[in-house]
Amino acid sequence: MGQRISKLNDDIALDHDLLKGPRHLTFDEKRILANRVMKKHGVGGVTLHWVNAISWFLLIFTGTALLSASYLQFAPDWYINMMDGIFGTRSAMLHFHIAVGVFWVTTLLLYGIFGYKNYLLDFIKHDLTIDKDDINWFPAKAKNLAGKLSHYQMPAQGTYNAGQKAYAVVVAFSTVTLVITGPIMAFHIGSTTIIQWAMMLHFVATMSVFAGVFVHVYMAALFPEERPAFFSMITGKVNELYAYLHHYKWWKEIKNEEHMFFAEELKKDGIHLPELEQCKNIKDHQAHVYNIEEK
Amino acid sequence: MSKYAMVIDMDRCVACHACEVACRSHYDVPVPYYRNWVHDLRPEGVYPDIKKVSYVGLCNHCDDAPCVKACPTGATYERKDGVVVVDKDLCIGCGLCIEACPYGARYINPVIEKVDKCDFCIDRVEQGVEPACVATCIASARIFGDMDDPDSKVSQLIANGAQPNVSEKVNVGPNIYYLDSHGNFPVVQAAFPPKLPHMPTPQKMWTKVLRPLFWLAIGGTFLGQLVAFSTQLFKGESDIKE
Repeated sequence: MGQRISKLNDDIALDHDLLKGPRHLTFDEKRILANRVMKKHGVGGVTLHWVNAISWFLLIFTGTALLSASYLQFAPDWYINMMDGIFGTRSAMLHFHIAVGVFWVTTLLLYGIFGYKNYLLDFIKHDLTIDKDDINWFPAKAKNLAGKLSHYQMPAQGTYNAGQKAYAVVVAFSTVTLVITGPIMAFHIGSTTIIQWAMMLHFVATMSVFAGVFVHVYMAALFPEERPAFFSMITGKVNELYAYLHHYKWWKEIKNEEHMFFAEELKKDGIHLPELEQCKNIKDHQAHVYNIEEK
Repeated sequence: MSKYAMVIDMDRCVACHACEVACRSHYDVPVPYYRNWVHDLRPEGVYPDIKKVSYVGLCNHCDDAPCVKACPTGATYERKDGVVVVDKDLCIGCGLCIEACPYGARYINPVIEKVDKCDFCIDRVEQGVEPACVATCIASARIFGDMDDPDSKVSQLIANGAQPNVSEKVNVGPNIYYLDSHGNFPVVQAAFPPKLPHMPTPQKMWTKVLRPLFWLAIGGTFLGQLVAFSTQLFKGESDIKE
């Protein structure tokens, strides 16, 4: 067996040890994990995120400037006047708001219809499904931020942590509300009573997302520990150290799949790794790895 | 600057509805809606003391217009000459102005699905032509003009006692004045008193409860991240520790 294959066998042996459960890492282990990358988002997911972000940005900036009645007003007068000045007339701004909204809804529908398996179901499975670890995560995160709990002692998290999931739930409900109420107002669907309720729900949905966006942006772009998440929204990749510490359950899932893939590919080349030898399918692999723990 | 107003001379009106028809044909107003109306009241009294009164009405182009305040987008606004108009491009047809209007002068045009109302035929007036209803009135019962010009007929009629349709509760500065010497105007006022502006439930909920709550939430998260970021600036950054 060549040197490189032997190195792969060592890597897999380390994986198998770490798959037993989250634990304190040695410096050498940290160094190894920090130099490996894992794919977190596909091109479609990254594109959707930024189309969504840019659309929200444009819609919030024009939407708040459209509300000039004092009892609904959100933005200060100077801001509304400035936006009127940029767009020339307020009706031009309304048409822009509707056009961006239509573009946004169309994009979401394209992903929802053609990508329902890869994006919609995936989003529901990874972002909206909550388990016990997610509920325990909130008090643990508070302790962690206070410096009283280290990462490997936190409840293991999936693709997204409970905080991200909570915001995803708000965003999902708001998105559905906006997709329904927006066209009601833009295309005058239904009686005036329906339009009046749609208007109120439109504001509620928007402001629910807006209230969380500061935390979302801060956590992703500015907070040092979560910064790999921000770059993963550009490159689609995260380093394994981050994945292991912050998203252990997801890391485990990917590792299991990766090992199966290795086993099959190596078999084609006629190479047998002692560490992968006993695995014939993914269940087999998991049984093999987790049995080590039981023994 | 001019400030437009209209006087309805109830003594001269013969309730022929020509103004209503002229308006409807000029603006393609679908039945049963009006930009401009003549509502005939049932005859009152016993022969020979019989009184038959008609309420001639249109948008009052109020100085303190509740519809302007109610419009979320600013589609309804008051021009500098006092005429309250609707920017149909900006109207979303929510009907909040309809609920706010004390005179029932607004309706949703089912063809364009947006709000419509009298605009004093401002396109005609700007070309020096009288509004359609005024031009067509066979008895010259409608008088249109500039209140800022003391020599105009409307100024003189208002000085001579033409009154707007206001009540103790509702006075938003209407600019339609009624001239009457036979005690007919109080009958109209009793039958068509100005309504208090009304705000529908969802808008009340938003204004009274939801908006303050969201301000708190947004302020809270903004401050939270500001404190966190400032702390980070002060302490300096460290990438993943442990």
